[in-house]
Amino acid sequence: MNVLDLKYERYKLNNGLEVILYNNKHVPLSAVNIWYKTGSAYERKGKTGLAHLFEHMMFQGSQNVPKEMHFRFIQEAGGSLNGSTSFDRTNFYEKVPSNFLEMVLWLEADRMGFLLPALSQEKLTNQISVVRNERIERYDNQPYGLAWEILLKNLYPEGHPYNWPTIGSLEDIDSYNMEDVTDFYQKYYSPSNASIVIAGDFDIASAKKMVEYYFNDIPNLQNTPEISDFSLNSLTHKVIEHSEDVQLSRIYMAWHTTKIFTEDDVPLEVLADILAGSKSSRLYKELVYDRELAQDISVYQFSGKFAGHFLIAATAKPGVELELIKSEILRLIGVVKKSGITSNELQKSKNSIKSSFIYSMQNVDSLADQLNYYNCFLDEPNSFIADLTRYDILKEEAIQKAAMTYLNDNYIELQILPSKKD
Amino acid sequence: MLLDRTIRPAASDNIDFEIPEIKSITLDNNIQALFIERHNLPIIRLNLVVQGGSKLDDIDKKGTASLFTMMLDEGAGKYNAMQLSDEFEMLGSNFESSCTDDAIFLSIRSLTENFNKTLELFNTIISSPHLNEEDFEREKRKTLVRILQQKDDPEDIANNVFSLKLFPGNHPYALPTAGLEETVNAISNDDIKNYFLNNFNSDKATIIIVGDINYEEVKRLLNSTVGKWKTNPAAEFTFFDPSEDVDPMIYLIDKPGAMHSDIRIGYLSEKRDETTYFPKLLLNMVLGGQFSSRINLNLRESKGYTYGAFSSFNYYKEAGFFIVSSSVNAINTADSIIEIFNELNKIREGININELNFAKSSLIRRFPSSFETNRQIAASLTRMIMFSLPFNHFNTYIDRIKSITLEDIKSAADYFICPDKCFTVIVGDKNTVIKQLDEKGLSNLIELDYKGNKIF
Repeated sequence: MNVLDLKYERYKLNNGLEVILYNNKHVPLSAVNIWYKTGSAYERKGKTGLAHLFEHMMFQGSQNVPKEMHFRFIQEAGGSLNGSTSFDRTNFYEKVPSNFLEMVLWLEADRMGFLLPALSQEKLTNQISVVRNERIERYDNQPYGLAWEILLKNLYPEGHPYNWPTIGSLEDIDSYNMEDVTDFYQKYYSPSNASIVIAGDFDIASAKKMVEYYFNDIPNLQNTPEISDFSLNSLTHKVIEHSEDVQLSRIYMAWHTTKIFTEDDVPLEVLADILAGSKSSRLYKELVYDRELAQDISVYQFSGKFAGHFLIAATAKPGVELELIKSEILRLIGVVKKSGITSNELQKSKNSIKSSFIYSMQNVDSLADQLNYYNCFLDEPNSFIADLTRYDILKEEAIQKAAMTYLNDNYIELQILPSKKD
Repeated sequence: MLLDRTIRPAASDNIDFEIPEIKSITLDNNIQALFIERHNLPIIRLNLVVQGGSKLDDIDKKGTASLFTMMLDEGAGKYNAMQLSDEFEMLGSNFESSCTDDAIFLSIRSLTENFNKTLELFNTIISSPHLNEEDFEREKRKTLVRILQQKDDPEDIANNVFSLKLFPGNHPYALPTAGLEETVNAISNDDIKNYFLNNFNSDKATIIIVGDINYEEVKRLLNSTVGKWKTNPAAEFTFFDPSEDVDPMIYLIDKPGAMHSDIRIGYLSEKRDETTYFPKLLLNMVLGGQFSSRINLNLRESKGYTYGAFSSFNYYKEAGFFIVSSSVNAINTADSIIEIFNELNKIREGININELNFAKSSLIRRFPSSFETNRQIAASLTRMIMFSLPFNHFNTYIDRIKSITLEDIKSAADYFICPDKCFTVIVGDKNTVIKQLDEKGLSNLIELDYKGNKIF
């Protein structure tokens, strides 16, 4: 038995809702996880952050669920719950003792189908305040908290779906009205734009009946508008300086790369790991450990539905110039491009990725989310083995080639510099 | 069956949940190992708790225990730091370490097939760390820069000043575990070596192991590795109780231009005691322990002052405190403080039966989900060890919650919720905040710098 090979059932209701059922009877818990295939990429200029605000509105009650009771009912059942918004999707999830599965389905169906009758200006005004506060706490009031927004703005041109962060701008957050919210719901929250995963310790036959019972008569509102694919012009090297009240300067370097589940996203992820994923990784060892030019360094490949990028961020030690850090980063990337990586480095990365796949199988709620993720991007929920195989078959040359193809002279450079004191 | 959406579905039959059996093994060196066997996935986790932690630090050298913990995997036995990191990564295993005021926590996680080798590396780390001068100097510089960076983070400043005011008079819990610039500067590599010799003691250690392995194998493997680890015995540690002097001031640390104010309100309370633990836990769930609690519903869902506001009773090994924390819209700083005090005063009048039942139900039904991952189980057992809880703690857990009455909550609120003892820490824009405090009649203001020193 391979622990990464998950047996599941998948089918569609008449209204287009996709249903995925997976049994795992290790602990008497059931997880429900719904993906709506919309996120901040589907917003428009002037209304950024609307997908995330809408996620908040989904917790404000629906026709048969009074305000605040969604949380209360789940917590009273000993469950946990939340939602999250990214560029490409919005998810909602609960994990409860299995005897409360039916209540969760009732709650999710009520807000999927009958949210609008319970909407009010008062609730919207309140959640605009909450989201404003979320943005200030997590971004504006955090050291380096605005870097992400500046990077996206420069990395993806105006009109590109990834031009702004999911939280949205303060100005836009303040501007939402009832019509925006209603319109977003009607466009993107139809059953046919969603998939629901139930994972855990439950009876498949009765779960099917419950899903049919609560979800089948939710009307499909209209066809969800798909946004057109957006091709990116190549970047030209650009330096942005931003001064902030921080002690240490920090540099961000970002390159356009590739979308999710394409040929090169995995080689770039492994490259990121080889550059900064461990103590002996190339950039960490040189910059943080041996020469102490940087306090920290992180590298990752982001792969989305509409684009991807490779991001390096390093915080300078006191008194160290960012130019020096930058030139060392570029020099070490140059070494990878010229001489490639060793088989030992590749094997270490493969081994840690393989174990992290297995460690991640412990939570039934993260399994549920992963099933939705594979279903959404690959149309095959049980893709754990196929996904891991993409890493397993990698050769050293693929990593070198990815570095040569993408990590060129055309990148966005953001320098956060301590503001001058009087 | 006709669909009626107005009816909330009730729970179906009760679920079956068996608490996993905890087995205790005494190793050859007398260390106790607690073991839970589970074979759902081919993975094993091991935690090592060594009690003591940074409260043993010389107060002028606070940060010693923390730096020692950072040094452990900077080279041990025949491996230097890079080699150790490579060995773990090649096995697909993880080594983690952390230090608190009361203990050092070390852990490994590995696939079953690599557990043997991972455990050997772990044993090398705890029994023969290099503690080299060169590595020490580097880790010390890293710590000093990290301390410098805390100046940027209003949450760090608020937490550090709160602790300082909570434990006045050079108390061992007053300063951050990682120390201050001046205390870290005072640490030498000899202090690290002394910590290792005198304070990292096998007679204060407990092992917790959870995962895909059987009893006989665990016993054999542990005895051939960590069961041989033997150190100097722990010295007697005398702890002085924190001062109970009440000083209900408002401390303001200026962060010019901040759009939010970070608020901490609280006071010294009692250390963990099993006779009051559950009444306090249930009381706090109604007050501010979760999303649906009074404080969050008021400040977030009703007033819109914040993204979240929570309260908790916190426990050190030798002390306890109560705290309410939030990051609030700068212009609502005074309003938020007033609302928090209103909630504290209000809950002293007691709670109603629905609130009690809700809190009980939430805790009792949540119980099985705390046994889902090896990490969660190991963390629960670690708490059991830290607070010397009885072995049947989990078996009596649900019944003890069920037995709590409204009267128990009322007397817990009377005794443990003390608005008069509260002091307040605010990190925010002085000009915005002071005006509001004045207008709302909140006096007793003292201005501090980010280190908690008075500004004259």
